[in-house]
Amino acid sequence: MTSSKRIILAILLAAAHAHAVEFNRDIRPILSDRCFACHGPDNANRQANLRLDVESAAKAKAILPGQPAQSPLYQRLITENKALRMPPAYRGHDPLPSHQIALIKQWIEAGAPWEKHWSFITPQKSSLPATSNPAWVRNPIDSFILARLDREQLKPSPEANKATLLRRLTLDLTGLPPTPAESEAFLNDSSPNAYEKQVDRLLHSPRYAERMAIRWLEAARYADTNGYQSDGVRSMWRWRDWVLDAFRTNMPFDKFTVEQIAGDLLPNATLSQKIASGFHRNHRTNAEGGIVEEEFRSEYVADRVETTATVWLGLTLGCTRCHDHKYDPFTQKEFYQLFAFFNNTPDRGLVYNFGNEEPHIPAPTAEQAARLAEFDKIQHSRESEWARLQPAIAKEQRKFEKRTQIHRNSSLPQHWRPKDAHSVTPQLDVKFDYMDPFTFEAWITPKAPNGVILTKSEDYWEGEGHQFFLHEGKLRLHITRRFTDISLRLETETRVQLNQRQHVAITYDGYRKGAGVHIYIDGKPQPIKILFDELTYPLGPKQPWRIGTGLGPKYEFQGTITAPHVYKYALTPEQVSTLPNEQTLGELAATKFAKRTQAQQNKLRLAFLDQHAPQHIKEAEAALVKARAERRKYFESIPTVMIMADNPTPRETHVLRRGAYDAPGEKVTAAVPAALPAFLQNEPNNRLGLARWLVDRRNPLTARVTVNRYWQMLFGTGLVKTAEDFGAQGEWPIHQQLIDWLAVDFMESGWDIRKIIRTIVTSNTYRQASTVTPALLQKDPENRLHARGPRIRLSAEMIRDQALAASGLLVEKFGGPSVKPYQPEGLWQELSGGKYVPDTGEGLYRRSLYTYWKRTIAPPYMINFDSPTRETCYVRETRTNTPLQALNLMNDPTFLDASKKLAERVQNEPGAPRDRLQRAFQLILGRPPQPAELDVLQTAFHKLGEDYAKVASLLLNLDETVTKE
Amino acid sequence: MTRRHLLSIPFLRAAAMGAVLNKPHHTPRAKRVIYLFQSGGPSQMELFDYKPRLRDFANQELPDSVRMGQRLTGMSATQSTFPVVPSKFTFEQRGQSGAWVSELLPHTAKIADELTFIKSLHTEAINHDPAVTFLMTGSQIAGRPSMGAWLSYGLGAETEDLPAFVVMISPGQGGGGQPLYDRLWGSGFLPTRYQGVKFRSVGSPVLYLNNPPEYSREDRRNYLDALGQLNKIKLDQTGDPEITTRIAQYEMAFRMQASVPELTDLSKEPQSTFDLYGPDARKPGTFAANCLLARRLAERGVRFIQLYHRDWDHHGGLPKGLPSRCRETDQPAAALVTDLKQRGMLDDTLVVWGGEFGRTVYCQGRLTKDDYGRDHHPRCFTVWLAGGGVKRGLTIGETDDYGYNITRDPIHVHDLQATILHTLGIDHTRLTYKYMGRYFRLTDVHGNVVKQVLA
Repeated sequence: MTSSKRIILAILLAAAHAHAVEFNRDIRPILSDRCFACHGPDNANRQANLRLDVESAAKAKAILPGQPAQSPLYQRLITENKALRMPPAYRGHDPLPSHQIALIKQWIEAGAPWEKHWSFITPQKSSLPATSNPAWVRNPIDSFILARLDREQLKPSPEANKATLLRRLTLDLTGLPPTPAESEAFLNDSSPNAYEKQVDRLLHSPRYAERMAIRWLEAARYADTNGYQSDGVRSMWRWRDWVLDAFRTNMPFDKFTVEQIAGDLLPNATLSQKIASGFHRNHRTNAEGGIVEEEFRSEYVADRVETTATVWLGLTLGCTRCHDHKYDPFTQKEFYQLFAFFNNTPDRGLVYNFGNEEPHIPAPTAEQAARLAEFDKIQHSRESEWARLQPAIAKEQRKFEKRTQIHRNSSLPQHWRPKDAHSVTPQLDVKFDYMDPFTFEAWITPKAPNGVILTKSEDYWEGEGHQFFLHEGKLRLHITRRFTDISLRLETETRVQLNQRQHVAITYDGYRKGAGVHIYIDGKPQPIKILFDELTYPLGPKQPWRIGTGLGPKYEFQGTITAPHVYKYALTPEQVSTLPNEQTLGELAATKFAKRTQAQQNKLRLAFLDQHAPQHIKEAEAALVKARAERRKYFESIPTVMIMADNPTPRETHVLRRGAYDAPGEKVTAAVPAALPAFLQNEPNNRLGLARWLVDRRNPLTARVTVNRYWQMLFGTGLVKTAEDFGAQGEWPIHQQLIDWLAVDFMESGWDIRKIIRTIVTSNTYRQASTVTPALLQKDPENRLHARGPRIRLSAEMIRDQALAASGLLVEKFGGPSVKPYQPEGLWQELSGGKYVPDTGEGLYRRSLYTYWKRTIAPPYMINFDSPTRETCYVRETRTNTPLQALNLMNDPTFLDASKKLAERVQNEPGAPRDRLQRAFQLILGRPPQPAELDVLQTAFHKLGEDYAKVASLLLNLDETVTKE
Repeated sequence: MTRRHLLSIPFLRAAAMGAVLNKPHHTPRAKRVIYLFQSGGPSQMELFDYKPRLRDFANQELPDSVRMGQRLTGMSATQSTFPVVPSKFTFEQRGQSGAWVSELLPHTAKIADELTFIKSLHTEAINHDPAVTFLMTGSQIAGRPSMGAWLSYGLGAETEDLPAFVVMISPGQGGGGQPLYDRLWGSGFLPTRYQGVKFRSVGSPVLYLNNPPEYSREDRRNYLDALGQLNKIKLDQTGDPEITTRIAQYEMAFRMQASVPELTDLSKEPQSTFDLYGPDARKPGTFAANCLLARRLAERGVRFIQLYHRDWDHHGGLPKGLPSRCRETDQPAAALVTDLKQRGMLDDTLVVWGGEFGRTVYCQGRLTKDDYGRDHHPRCFTVWLAGGGVKRGLTIGETDDYGYNITRDPIHVHDLQATILHTLGIDHTRLTYKYMGRYFRLTDVHGNVVKQVLA
């Protein structure tokens, strides 16, 4: 805390000091900030075996109630002896300021009464205080605020004028400004509940959901990329849309919590509930080659604990990852007991660089699910049609066989192999990357157990590329990006026959996993042993195809290789079974049905269907193939989302000494900290139980922490300014009875978010004018007492969205994949090499909520205006005021586009330039300009070459434009 | 409370520029820092840490007694052998101090007597992202303020026309190299005004700096005059001091529109400058051009100037890749030190050169007659310091015959950070910011000033 901040806090507390000293308000913050680090909860680092965070211990050794002069605590604060003085000078600590020493003296004199830390006591609704002006009190918020103002001898401000109020309300509830028509309707509505009507209209707009969602996305560290090093893309927008839907339908906060923490564990979890559990897959994940997997897996779990603690409990449990907490009653062991709840997911430490990491699920939108059902329906009908045709097909095939047999030497084609086979030559121009399916096949007669069949790789064992070869007689595949850690390697358990001619084939489905590979000898599938299964990254160099070579000199093939072919798809087992068969169709047909092998049967049937079937059968087959392909293609276009899941057998959790992944200590099981209410009986001891515990009525923190964020959202600062810390080091609330009333009311309403926000914005406290007087500024610069309405700069997304909306550029569309609006060229290249390609069309003008968020190079506009980076959970709203923001608003193409569009809008209006300038002003600020303002604008208009776009840009840069008044 | 309410009060104007410290903790020796960060992990084995005995150990397996169970990256942990590979490049002792510098750095060799080499720096991370994040923010995990942000929070700028903390990036010509991340110059939980401002070689040198073509400078002036008048009307009516600040920030933006192009315009530099920095200095976006700009920024009062040169990550192809990185950086880095000295600025400018970790003595990947690579090595690496408050012609720290373990004077990354702050007059334990209930600092809860390097 800087000295100036201390002064202001002292001013705010001054009135209180005239009254009795309160431990929680006046004493604990001093002890915590100046004493607890050495004399607090941290067992390992406690000095002189003295703790001041526990009443009995403090009174046993350091405090004699009623007698400051006999209390070592007080003596050590005031002693002249520097060696004895606390906090110790020899450690560079300053002495306590005299007003704090006086407070401690006063408190000891009063008997040193102790209180449990305020935020750990279950909140109660206290009776409403009497006030000087009951007529001003619209709801209980006003009682608490006015009672305090009375004590400070301050008066509330008058209600803001209607235009200002509607703009404030509309921005607060929807993130967008009111339209001129909306303003006009409100101004003309003289009914007594005109304002409440607006509140209800806005709270039920989908824009309200968009406005509420963005703060939640920041808390949830939501982004479109993984966040470490190469920062590859992921897809979590279906989770983001779940959040939007939850706010749109006003899902109660308890349900909102349970589904996000443990939706996957709910009985018969729906798709929507599983998607919700993606909350705890939003953390950053690392795909950097060479990392130690467990180091980062532990990191992800710790992130889940810390994020949960910050968002729901307002606790800084990150401190307890390495040691007992220095200020709050939490131990390191308790951190790992919470860790155990989140430590059971199957996700890995080293993730795919591109795309979602398991576990993930297809997450179709309602529209997509409907379309998929149509594809399913078509496919089923094609399949039934195909089944119905089977007798006819059998009959036709018999006819064909007869014909083929009789006309063995006729012009009918006699040979057949599956479609699109490429014969391998060094010039063959067929490329494969790590996600391309393929089939390789060849005839081999090996004379030695080691030798290459086919490669497209660098010419050595660890080389990058594809390698299919014999290793100690076994058929082996390497697909390698980097041998040591980004590679797929497997081999058959069986061996080929040396010195015999045999057919070998291998297929790969393109899904990056060894399980998607099949190897065949003479058309028969062989058992496979997977040796290394980490194909996580695309391949680099272009290598030529080589037959019989490409693994260095030791693996030159000895023997013969004939007829090597590759296919750009994975053949089915049925298809592969036909490859070793070299008979002509005539020969096959001549074999008696009962004597044919399955492979012979397969080949005849596939060849018949492919080449010789009557038209209607060919058409039915083509329709079936098409239906399946289209269904599959559509299915694969459906977005996936990462979700939570628990392993069937829980993973063991240990305390990690110093927080280090490789220093496991005591084994622990899942539990909640002892200083908080007990876990619920009859609830499972897993994430689901934890989620329900978070929103249990006895939990003293969740509701307080949540309503505090809403207060922060509307007033700029929370009732507890440290929105992320409700512990001993957090701010003691100036209005504790108010935050408690709001918290209880929130829970009593069934955790109704819309209702609690309605309560706040319909209070007289919220509706005050935001004008500042010098006296008020002096007394309460941060407006913590609320003797005036909030006047704060708009958040990053609102500034941009407002410009788009006011100009008419905004494209409103609820949800959907992220979009790429303008950003300066080259930002990605200079840091990481990728290229940012802005969208064309509507993607340029969607609300900022939908902007693609690359964590390591976040949208510069958003960061300039103080948006959190989404690398870790962040819940405090901050605002700065910088020259870079000025440049951004003046010269960013988005704002220039908005200026031009605005100019177009007003240019076509009738009237003189002055009228048009007035109109532009009204469109942006929701009020008409005052004459003096219009004069300035008109002069500027002439000086700026009568260019409406320049004036519009100027208007978008006004302080009032970027400020909620 | 936020700082914004202080801004209107004239006597707190210094605070508005970011100086949370009213005065330094002790007499500063440096007023500013130029940090020449070499991203990817330059090989100390080829550049500074001369190990003649490696020729005897060549191709032999790295003994377990040297490795001592040290964890390796996943890139080489599964290698079947760990053959020792000596430097392909020769070393010589340079200057009066006799510091060993490789043939790859002939210009650095010439200024060896100006430099302090630390051969015993060590870090905790073994991969790029955590290691660079650790070096720049004191923590491997994202979320903390960067070194420059701490400085601009603590000391503010010496200028009103330019930001306190400027970052410039140059790619290695070998290709991309390891990615960089905004967080390396981010403000973490400090207010975003303290983040580094990236000066770029394409488009506007500072994002959104250039007016669109349809705006003349005079238009912008008229525009800002009208904007100021309208904001002033608002100020008179609402009394919100934030408006005063906003008016001032728009004026600073206007000044930056003049001062930044003037700064980045190298046309008035004499030929001798380009002779000194090398011909690349005429090509925007090169390390050489950025070194020259760094001097110009230093002259204009920027507090923390950080250059990032990419592509030092030589897992393979080291004999080819490393010399070209050296060619790109050696002359300009040495020129910068020389130039600062000639201008009398080296005394109060601290220059730091180095990467995020070192490289292994054993070969990663294929060892052939002409080619080898080295994996990441956190246990020791070399950086050099020059100027502001540090000794000249000194070498600190020693490593064993393999260049694998430190045998003398280990210096941790937090120690380096503490030392950099110390030269600027800051006690690293006392420049703190309260967040999440805790007083955070650049050096976490560690770090000791390396007294040996202080002049």
